[in-house]
Amino acid sequence: MLTAQVQEEIVPYGELLAQEAVPAALISMRDIWRTYQMGEEQVHALRGVSFDVQKGEYVAIIGPSGSGKSTLMNIIGCLDTPTRGRYWINGKLVSEMDDDELARIRNKEVGFVFQTFNLLPRATALHNVELPLIYAGVPAAERRERAKRALMAVDLADRMMHKPNELSGGQRQRVAIARALVNHPSILLADEPTGALDTATSREIMNLFERLHEEGNTIIIVTHEPDIAARAHRIISIRDGRIEKDERVK
Amino acid sequence: MNVYETIKVALSAIWAHKLRSFLTLLGMIIGVTAVVVIVALIQGFNAYVDEKIANIGAKSYSIYRFDFFKDFRDTDTLAAAQRRNPELTLEDYEYLRARLQLTEQLGARVAPTNSQVKRGTQTLDSVPVWGTTPNIVEIEKTDIADGRYFTEGENEVAARVCFIGADIAEKLFPYEPAVGGEIYIRGIPFRVVGVQARYGYVFGRPPVDSSITIPIRTYIRTFGPPVRNRWLYFIGKAVSDELFNDAVEEARAALRLRRGLRADEEDNFGIVTPDVIMGARDRIFGPIFIVAIAVPSIALVVGGIVIMNIMLVSVTERTKEIGIRKAVGARRRDILKQFLVEAVTLSAIGGAIGVLLAWLLSQIVSLYVFQTRLSLLAISIAIFVSGGIGVMAGIFPAWRAARLDPIESLRAD
Ligand SMILES: Nc1ncnc2c1ncn2[C@@H]1O[C@H](COP(=O)(O)OP(=O)(O)O)[C@@H](O)[C@H]1O
Ligand SMILES: [Mg+2]
Repeated sequence: MLTAQVQEEIVPYGELLAQEAVPAALISMRDIWRTYQMGEEQVHALRGVSFDVQKGEYVAIIGPSGSGKSTLMNIIGCLDTPTRGRYWINGKLVSEMDDDELARIRNKEVGFVFQTFNLLPRATALHNVELPLIYAGVPAAERRERAKRALMAVDLADRMMHKPNELSGGQRQRVAIARALVNHPSILLADEPTGALDTATSREIMNLFERLHEEGNTIIIVTHEPDIAARAHRIISIRDGRIEKDERVK
Repeated sequence: MNVYETIKVALSAIWAHKLRSFLTLLGMIIGVTAVVVIVALIQGFNAYVDEKIANIGAKSYSIYRFDFFKDFRDTDTLAAAQRRNPELTLEDYEYLRARLQLTEQLGARVAPTNSQVKRGTQTLDSVPVWGTTPNIVEIEKTDIADGRYFTEGENEVAARVCFIGADIAEKLFPYEPAVGGEIYIRGIPFRVVGVQARYGYVFGRPPVDSSITIPIRTYIRTFGPPVRNRWLYFIGKAVSDELFNDAVEEARAALRLRRGLRADEEDNFGIVTPDVIMGARDRIFGPIFIVAIAVPSIALVVGGIVIMNIMLVSVTERTKEIGIRKAVGARRRDILKQFLVEAVTLSAIGGAIGVLLAWLLSQIVSLYVFQTRLSLLAISIAIFVSGGIGVMAGIFPAWRAARLDPIESLRAD
């Protein structure tokens, strides 16, 4: 047994912490803070969030508006960087990665579905879905094939050459989901994916997520609608930037 | 992505943003076309003038009463010159002609007297009628379309013969050959012995095609002695091109000697050589050329500003696009490469169209006015400047947006 003092002499402290804590989970967050500087004032969107997500889980994050859900999702999706804290994905410490490595993670490890779709307005559905494959260096022919298959998987085989403004909201969101899935990510993230859709379409999209989960995808979904959250296997409640409750429901 | 695909993506982006691309192209085309056309015009014009000046008579010099460049500066210098410089006389001419060793031929010409010219019912008013010595035809290498120049013999006897310009021949003899015909100058009958080849219009030269030339002795007998308005000047041709400058100096020295000028006194006459004329052309047209260069430069700047504006206006839209691309895995260098290739492609297309348009315009000018010359330097500068502006304006916002966290770019709208 080594004392803490001796340990410090053998291994540098930061490296030790990292080694010690490398978790086996798919996603692992430890004491994540996100602080926005608003002029003089500091807004703490996240105040020390810690949790793990295992492979194959279907997690819903709920909480009132402004509680920090989107901030958390953006950090999980590597679209934003935490002000403080450590974050691992597949055992790799994301919070210390450089720009290129983060781009690789966004490309290969996570698929992100936004409330407002975020599709390229002047590109066809097919091209939008191809996008992650372009940056993954997939050759054109294979890219096209895979994008087509992804669109077929979301029942959009007949809309491939349509541009976003020629599609309904539900169809746009399905294009976005196809784009998120086309590169076979480890995890699918969706930030209020039905927030801009009517009830019927919302149900359709939620059914799609359920199916994707059954096919083995790991999913984290943000919502403030209880009945949507109820379909997940685990619900994390957030309030004022902290986890209030984290419960398994199935 | 390989180069081919990158360019394909760039082209589809250009096609997707038609209005923006069109305006950017317009800016580029305006700049490039203006610069290339105007430089082509200037260079063509210069070459044209050089050629015409060379035609005036390779290596001939002229002796005038005044030094045009010094004495005509203002009314004071002119008044002083009028007091100081005696008129050139036929005696001066005979004196020089007898003595100059390095001048193969020395000719004389009297300033024109405007006269009414008639043939049958045709009347031409104010036709300039010149008097020359017959050897002018050799000195100035006058091109003859029909007939001949008058001879020394005809000059000796002050024969009433004339050598006429192409326009005069056309107007007075529309249906038959002019040579051999008779025309009336101030009511006096003259026989046409020759017609000059069409000369065209040249800056700084009298309109040759619509003038008439008669032997100098005939002129004096018809209009009066060569004084005042009928001023005289001499044209000399050196024995060889190598000795041209020496011939000029010999003539200068001879006339100074005849006029008894001391070494410290200035010439009281003027000698014009082709070098002087070309120098004058540059002095006269230099400022015009500068203006002509300034205009396309402004066009280039305006084009550049158009390009820059269009590129910057689209920043928000493109910031969002960059956010989306980064969100799905584009690296910073992927973004930069895409925008760089897009801007370069757009600039290349604009430059190509601009050059093509410039080429077309200069072909038209060449066909109808004078031969223009496309300048590779002008093309390079024009493309480099407006292309440079296009590329800078195209990638600077991209570079800024590419540095942001994707979520920040996604927030733009
Ligand atoms: N870019 C930003 N600048 C400043 N404050 C922000 C920014 N984004 C979010 N916030 C603040 O952080 C808190 C959490 O926001 P968010 O994560 O969007 O909440 P939710 O998605 O749960 O509605 C809010 O108080 C919000 O005002
Ligand atoms: Mg939100």
